Amino acid sequence: MTEQIPIETMHPSVRMLSDEQVEAIHRTSLDILSRTGIVVKHEGARRLLLEAGAWESDGRIKIPERLVTEALASAPSRIPMYNRLGELTMPLELGKVFFGTGSDCIFTIDVETGERRRTTTEDVERIARLSDGLDQIDFVMSMGHPSEVPPEDAYLYGFVGMLRGSTKPIVYTASDRRDMEDIYEIACAVAGGEEALRERPFLLHYAEPISPLLLPPESVDKLLFCAEKEIPVTYPPSPNTGGGGPITMAGALALGNAESLVGLVLTQLVRPGTPFLYGMNIAALDMKSAIVSYGAPEWATTMPAWTDLARFYGLPVWGAAGATDSKVVDAQAGIEATVSIMMAFLSRCTLVHDVGYIEYGTTSSMEMVVIADEIIRDVRHIVGGVEVSERTLAREPIHRARPGGGFLADDHTLKNWRWAQWRPLLLDRMRYGEWVEKGGKDMTTRANERARQILAEHEVEPLPEDVEKVVRRVLERRKRNK
Amino acid sequence: MADILQEIATNLYDGEDEKVAQLVQKALDEGMSPQEVLNDGLIAGMDVVGRDFKAGDLFVPEVLIAARAMQAGMDVLRPLLAQGNVPTVGKYVIGTVQGDLHDIGKNLVKMMLEGAGFEVIDLGVDVEPGVFIEAVREHQPKVVGMSALLTTTMVNMKATIEALEDAGVRDSVKIMVGGAPVTAAFAEEIGADAYAPDAPTAVEIARQLAE
Repeated sequence: MTEQIPIETMHPSVRMLSDEQVEAIHRTSLDILSRTGIVVKHEGARRLLLEAGAWESDGRIKIPERLVTEALASAPSRIPMYNRLGELTMPLELGKVFFGTGSDCIFTIDVETGERRRTTTEDVERIARLSDGLDQIDFVMSMGHPSEVPPEDAYLYGFVGMLRGSTKPIVYTASDRRDMEDIYEIACAVAGGEEALRERPFLLHYAEPISPLLLPPESVDKLLFCAEKEIPVTYPPSPNTGGGGPITMAGALALGNAESLVGLVLTQLVRPGTPFLYGMNIAALDMKSAIVSYGAPEWATTMPAWTDLARFYGLPVWGAAGATDSKVVDAQAGIEATVSIMMAFLSRCTLVHDVGYIEYGTTSSMEMVVIADEIIRDVRHIVGGVEVSERTLAREPIHRARPGGGFLADDHTLKNWRWAQWRPLLLDRMRYGEWVEKGGKDMTTRANERARQILAEHEVEPLPEDVEKVVRRVLERRKRNK
Repeated sequence: MADILQEIATNLYDGEDEKVAQLVQKALDEGMSPQEVLNDGLIAGMDVVGRDFKAGDLFVPEVLIAARAMQAGMDVLRPLLAQGNVPTVGKYVIGTVQGDLHDIGKNLVKMMLEGAGFEVIDLGVDVEPGVFIEAVREHQPKVVGMSALLTTTMVNMKATIEALEDAGVRDSVKIMVGGAPVTAAFAEEIGADAYAPDAPTAVEIARQLAE
């Protein structure tokens, strides 16, 4: 046969909203911005908006459609993210999907003792190192809010922990402008200067407004700092259904979209072209416990929906998956993580955080990160689709097969098994007797062992000494300026 | 001298069938005995394969590719071994019992046995007791292995053992059984000598029984 045009492989995807639904939500958001208005508790941002054409009435800032349209026009369609070694590892653009951990858990499950306890800077560094050693994890977040340092220094120490623990791109949080400046100083030292950091950003900042309709001062200040320095930034609101947002998913999406667009507008007013990651977080406020549910199907439903909105806007998009409300790593954790990771992949959400959260985001678990790594690997195979080609159709092997004899020892199997079949790392497929013999371990036990093994064996390229010097200088300055 | 045997074992492990055949010929040309090449080269290599498979470091296709390399080496040795009347590890008669057409598991065991140096006589599927008796009389194997995938056909393992007893050849062989529904308890109940839950275990047990 002459070389024929290959048959394109279909990769399954999901759309949650029709074009008509996307437009209806978009128009409602524009209506919220121009009619309802928002409260901006930051003088600089207020002035920026008013000078650009927004107006103020009834104590609210009202934003016309034109500002949104202009911001959408100037925002870049992609954010190329690098690791701290200067390699492009995470080009945030529509169609790609990247996974990483979440930020600022109050507690962690100690991987050695199983105890639930307050997190420390060391935990942040260790979970970052674990994430560095997991090949399905693309970026790191702190997974802990250091409790052994003064509260006002916790974010800075968390950032240093991530930086030391991993070379992967960092998504970070901060409390205020001082945090932002200190972290920026360290980041510039890592990248080799301000210009180098702008060209090869390895960090992305996560700030958020308060839903509904409120932009607090520090949050806006951090957002503006990013725009000034051209640090990639995301500003996802959390209009959780029945809490920060209406009880209905469409209402939550319309509100969250409006709030996210304000973040976009502000960054583009400060500096057109600021890399902005669109998105939101929509959990369900549970009507029994009043917790914000990270495993709720509403999250897995709205994430593809706001990803559809992101496609409409042509912006890369933020989401969350691989998290659970369960207090332990159990079947519930597996269900909730799998459903959300599957939807993140199918919808092509660009940057997906919160992998490894348990207890509705209050606690981090290394076992959960390790299990989610396996789920991501599994679902990645599913969205790979079915290659249909001469080599995969296996015409000849089928033709030569002895009826009932099987393909196990056929050349086609021996030649192609490595790529043609998925193999688990952590999921168990042992025969019963062997499983018993090897300790009869369940998934969580195996995940715990894998986490400890990675911590014991995985090496991360240390920070260069000149960067460590800057880190120490910044931390010392903090201690002096109490 | 020992280096070439090590080289045979290593190439066998990697499934390099042509290389293994060449090295076996080279070893013979250098004056080694066929038995030495078989035991310390080919079988030594397969032992490592078996060990690593059992430890979970190798996958089935890798074992089969190694077994194929073993066969390539055996093809060079076989005429010499026959001439010199040097014994192989042993003969093994294998088949899926009467009424059962399942072939794949039995074939896997067969290939792994061959990989371990057994001379395997494969009776195929749906094998009547009489055919097992004939094969035992003709080939005088050390071991007879029976496979069944169905609860409805595993009873024919018992019937086959009874037929071997009636024919007076039961005690000349060891009998192994296996297959998804078969258990160690069932094997004992029907008077088999051994049960193996999977192919590598089958090879291990067969080697013990053949000693």
